[in-house]
Amino acid sequence: MIGVALDDSVDDVRPWTDGISFPVLIDPQHTLTETYAISNVPTVVWIDEHDHIVRPNGVAFGTDTFKDFTGVDSEPHKEALRRWVRDGEVPIDADQARAAVGDLTDDEVLARLHFRIAAHARRIGNDEVARRHFARAGELAPYDWTIRRAALPLTGDDPFGQTFFDMYGEWQAAGSPYHGLAGTEAV
Amino acid sequence: MRPVASRDVSLTTQVTIIGDDVRTVDATVDGEKLLVAPDQLEAATGWKLEPQGLCRGDVCVPVRDQAALLDGDKVDLAAVAHALGRLAVVDADAGLVAMGADPATRRQALSLDAPEFTLNDLDGSPHSLSEWRGRKKLLFAFASW
Repeated sequence: MIGVALDDSVDDVRPWTDGISFPVLIDPQHTLTETYAISNVPTVVWIDEHDHIVRPNGVAFGTDTFKDFTGVDSEPHKEALRRWVRDGEVPIDADQARAAVGDLTDDEVLARLHFRIAAHARRIGNDEVARRHFARAGELAPYDWTIRRAALPLTGDDPFGQTFFDMYGEWQAAGSPYHGLAGTEAV
Repeated sequence: MRPVASRDVSLTTQVTIIGDDVRTVDATVDGEKLLVAPDQLEAATGWKLEPQGLCRGDVCVPVRDQAALLDGDKVDLAAVAHALGRLAVVDADAGLVAMGADPATRRQALSLDAPEFTLNDLDGSPHSLSEWRGRKKLLFAFASW
């Protein structure tokens, strides 16, 4: 396992890595969300021995803590993962895998660039510039959690508060868009 | 007295360019444009303007109209991003530029060939995907938010 934290600072990540033995990397610029078209967390990608993606971006959880909220049971994915590791069995064929994610639009890429400018401006104490670019990023990619939810703690809002639940309602009303396999799809 | 053209009052400022890495150089603010001296382009972006195009290491991206990259005797950073086929956001007032990744990298991922990446661990040591070649990997993106 390789964990990649889409967080602004190491201090945000450390509380989650106690007792974890696999490598955990940090991606404050969200570079992976641009090169792998990731639009929410948690997202998992299965990559084989030859660096081929055998199961692309998908929603999967390690536990059932959020099962009532997300409707995603963690067990089918974990069982499929065991079969892949043990027997090399892959639950999706290459054509389905290639069609599953969908490219980012130019607006979604531009949202990532505005997010990077905003996060940098915030780090150097230029809050006005940060606010402007976080807002623009959210307008360009309103249903991308790596943009809008990730910006909440950086703009003094609560990522588990009312703003998040409002966003969740908007996202569901838009058909729950996600770049990859939804957790409730075939594992 | 001759009226002062806007070009003459353009400001030199420190600019941070967030691309494949984060770089800081001196640039000229001209309206909404950020311009750098040609010999500063490599420091600004990692790319150098050569007769055959924009070059970085042994990779060269042909540029059909090199003059389109220039504004007077300086290089326009937004035009360079465009010539490289990358999206960019320029905030000239704030002195900040973000340049996107090569879109070919994401097309590679979408065609199921895992793109290489290098990111730091929590102690600041860099790691690349290729370190784990030969093993099955579960790449797992998460966040505290």
